[in-house]
Amino acid sequence: MQTGPDESQAWNGDPIDEEEALRRLQLRHDPSAQYYAAWWLGRNRTQHPQAVPLLRNALQQRRARQLGDEVEENAVARNAARALGKLGVIANPAIPDLLATLDDPDHGLREAAARSLGQLRAEAAVPLLLSRLASGPEVAGAREMGTPRMKEPCDAMLEALGDIGLSTDDVLSVLKSFLTHERPVVRSSACRALLQLTADPQWGEAMVELLQHDQLQVRRAALMDLGATGWRPALTAISNTLAENSLKLIALRGIVETNLDDPMDEAVLDAMDALL
Amino acid sequence: MMIPSNIAALIEAVERADTADGLLKATEALAATGHPASARCLLDILGFNNPGAAVAAVDGLIAIGQPVVETILDNLDGYNYGARAWSVRALAGIADRRGLIVLERALETDIGPSVRRAAACGLGNLQLTNPDHADAERERCLQGLIQATNDGEWIVRYAVAVGLERRLREASCRPAQRQQGEQALRKLLGEGEDVKVVRSRARLALQRLSNG
Repeated sequence: MQTGPDESQAWNGDPIDEEEALRRLQLRHDPSAQYYAAWWLGRNRTQHPQAVPLLRNALQQRRARQLGDEVEENAVARNAARALGKLGVIANPAIPDLLATLDDPDHGLREAAARSLGQLRAEAAVPLLLSRLASGPEVAGAREMGTPRMKEPCDAMLEALGDIGLSTDDVLSVLKSFLTHERPVVRSSACRALLQLTADPQWGEAMVELLQHDQLQVRRAALMDLGATGWRPALTAISNTLAENSLKLIALRGIVETNLDDPMDEAVLDAMDALL
Repeated sequence: MMIPSNIAALIEAVERADTADGLLKATEALAATGHPASARCLLDILGFNNPGAAVAAVDGLIAIGQPVVETILDNLDGYNYGARAWSVRALAGIADRRGLIVLERALETDIGPSVRRAAACGLGNLQLTNPDHADAERERCLQGLIQATNDGEWIVRYAVAVGLERRLREASCRPAQRQQGEQALRKLLGEGEDVKVVRSRARLALQRLSNG
């Protein structure tokens, strides 16, 4: 990449349209423009017929983080993976590419692929996710030497299993094995998926308990996980959590949007109004 | 201003606090007094880059209410971005009409979604207490809110729906204003709005307005 930080700053973040995003996504000499373009296409949930083929190409790009880069390792591929998850059914042709990405050596890329496969409800991902997680909290969930990461992006993978929605004995037993993980955020992800798959309130109650955890980071994760399940009984506990109102509002949005079939739930909207 | 000794002691505790948690506890204690003499110290806390303490300080400023508005407005330009953002929230919560111009500007231009959210809420809540200016001020609140239906953040548009509902429910709202405001709510309910919870909130607002 030839551009200096200032120039790419001006190049980045500016308002663009769909055509321009698709054009920039192909600028292989300028990864930071591609990175922004991939993000833009996901954020705007593009339905342009060219978007998925171009994102699939971008998903194959590999580039180690280099001195002076403003973006992460394999930044273009990671953002392409994230964008594909946001596009709905038109992204289905990219599912085989995302499945292959679950075997990539890059931890961050595996994480992005797992989340997107969950968002696309790709049932074909279940066996691969299970095999990555089968070694349980002691191996897959163990800390990788010299980094703060776990060997696998366990939280993303557990959450993907819940989002995909296949509730088999194999899936449930892997999810339950992570309920003893030392990290509360991983336990929260397992509870989230178990609640989605079984509707058993004990998993919702376990997340509500984490809303009282003394670390803010854990309370935030439990808020997001409860929001993703839309578990209505958590309403008051969410409102009372010691965390930013912005996050509580996102969690309550999840409750409203999960339960839209019911007649309008004024109590949830009133709770949101009170947090503005 | 004479500072009562119990307030002075609480202010001293804030100044002595040497951990984030200690500052939070001291700020909460000072904020709970709602005493105007705590204002200066609470305003200083907004600039400390400690979000927990800033939330508590904003609550304290809101508890003091009208007597603190002028002090906030006088100091606004000297603040760093963080302190200014927290001041906007305090002004929105106090809902004094003197904060109008600050809230208008924040909703239109602030880079922080949570600041624009608070500003939208504030434009819905401002107490338009001066009968000579109430109509013109309501018009400004409405125009600011209507403009912000184009905001890129869902939570700001959500707050706009809430703010519009509150303004339009006022008995003194003119029919033309009501019509224009309801049109903006219908826009938040329409096909151009892709966030379901925003549509739900706009629908609820229109429903409540039509039920009187």
